[in-house]
Amino acid sequence: MTSRLEVAVRKSLPGFTLDVEWSAGDGVATLFGPSGSGKTLTLQCLAGLVRPDAGRIVVGGRVLFDAAAGVDLPPQRRRVGYVFQGYALFPHLTVRGNIGFGLRDRSRAERRRRVDEVLGRLGLEAFAERSPRELSGGQRQRVALGRALATDPALLLLDEPLSALDLPLRQALRDEMRSILTGWGIAAVLVTHDLTEAYRLGDRIVVYEEGRVIQAAPRAELLWQPSSRSVARIMGIRNLVQGVTLKATADRIQFRWRGQVLEAVNSPTHSYLPAADSPLAFFIRPEYVRLIRKDRGHVDAAHHMNLMAGTVVREVDQGASWTLFLRLDEPGAPAQGDYDLELEVPRLVYEILEIDRDRHWQFSLHRGAIHVLPSA
Amino acid sequence: MSPDSISALRLSIQVAVAATALNAMIGIPIAYLLARRRFWGRSMLDLVVTLPLVLPPTVVGYYLIVLLGRRGLLGAPLYKLTGWTVAFTWYAAVIAATVMALPLLVRTVHAAIESVDRDLERAAYTLGHSELRTALEVTLPLARNGILAGLVLAFARALGEFGATLMLAGNIPGRTTTVPLSIYTAVQTGESGEAIAMVVALTALSCLVLIVANRLGARAT
Repeated sequence: MTSRLEVAVRKSLPGFTLDVEWSAGDGVATLFGPSGSGKTLTLQCLAGLVRPDAGRIVVGGRVLFDAAAGVDLPPQRRRVGYVFQGYALFPHLTVRGNIGFGLRDRSRAERRRRVDEVLGRLGLEAFAERSPRELSGGQRQRVALGRALATDPALLLLDEPLSALDLPLRQALRDEMRSILTGWGIAAVLVTHDLTEAYRLGDRIVVYEEGRVIQAAPRAELLWQPSSRSVARIMGIRNLVQGVTLKATADRIQFRWRGQVLEAVNSPTHSYLPAADSPLAFFIRPEYVRLIRKDRGHVDAAHHMNLMAGTVVREVDQGASWTLFLRLDEPGAPAQGDYDLELEVPRLVYEILEIDRDRHWQFSLHRGAIHVLPSA
Repeated sequence: MSPDSISALRLSIQVAVAATALNAMIGIPIAYLLARRRFWGRSMLDLVVTLPLVLPPTVVGYYLIVLLGRRGLLGAPLYKLTGWTVAFTWYAAVIAATVMALPLLVRTVHAAIESVDRDLERAAYTLGHSELRTALEVTLPLARNGILAGLVLAFARALGEFGATLMLAGNIPGRTTTVPLSIYTAVQTGESGEAIAMVVALTALSCLVLIVANRLGARAT
């Protein structure tokens, strides 16, 4: 298989060395890893904004950089679009001016036609004459995408395109971004430090750590490789475990995990529909596991979703809160070593419920708190 | 006001306008280079451009004579070639005012360019624009307020230039006597009426420049 994108880059900076080699086919490759691991620097090398010390960059058969052969195309001639973190829209130009900025070598009529086409495809017609500062975060993102896509680049680079937005908007725009990228059919490299984003947007995932690539694989394979878990842990993602799909519909995914039948929310616009019996990776944020108080009468299954019971096997005092490690009342090996789930309770709750004395608890997981990571 | 004072006022404005134009042509590119490029001799250039701000004007004037005087490093070959020397002409007043005003313009514009987000320039490069075109269409338009402020400062400094002008251009009534020189002469010779008239005229002119600049600045934002 020939790769659309071949990247081998070495660049030494004071106190940091980037030394990576990976390749990707058509579609979206996400570079995932903690901040300061060299993801943005890689994009800058791809765009020609930073000159690597050594290496070779090939996009669709075109050599953009080859240290050995002395090839180093300037950014102007690379045909690589760049969507910057924070978008970098020109504040002194209108939306139309921004999108047409890369089309200055075309005739006035041709430029106008192309800008109108891009505005139409991104649903921005109504904002053509507005200034970027009059737009919402989502509209800005679309303008930044449109500006980069208008010139028909061979490759699109996106640096943390969703990090400038607040969380609820972020989730909606993640799906919108996915459909724009697939609709445009463009090869893209997207940088993110958000695991869910990496999985939702990437066909191939390249995991960065301290200037090196620790793994690069199609999304379907990556999650089952052990280093993904250590990366997830580095990123502060806890309770990353795997279950088996029972049934997936447009708005719900049902799956089996440790003898329980659990239910999670599916993405309303871009449902992930794994086949029955296929493996399913998901994570649960420890602060969203809800302990059920014993003094509040009987447990209502309709009210408490994903109901389970287990015993506290270990605990860690975090000061303002306690981290509890729970083992389910199920036979078989626990999901994460000697425990199944990690949860966090505020100190006050810990004291009121006398958890130090009472070790067996029922708990529930709201279906919105289970984050399923698509792997196909 | 006497005809001499009026001609001094006209000459002052002429010199200040010419010096401001030269500042724009020389100073803005220098400010851009200092803000955006790393090259050999960069700190030297920064130092040389800034020196007139801290040196006494007479010292700057002395250097200008060494450089441009009839027996100067550049002035001597020029005199040999053309029989003409810049010293004691109104061009000399323009050069003195330009050099003295340059640090104010360069420092103000430098800061303004540095405050422009570099990602905007990088975006322009990836969209196919050369560095020059990016500077003209992105960087400088976005640094417009700073450039305007720098030009106003340069104009005001050029209008009030005294020491370096006296050294290089002399004090020849009708030819190189600008308002500050003329005020000095009037006070020296006891013509306090003329001095007051010109002090008021220069103050009024300076106020006018500041008001116009403020208006322009307010419109720009």
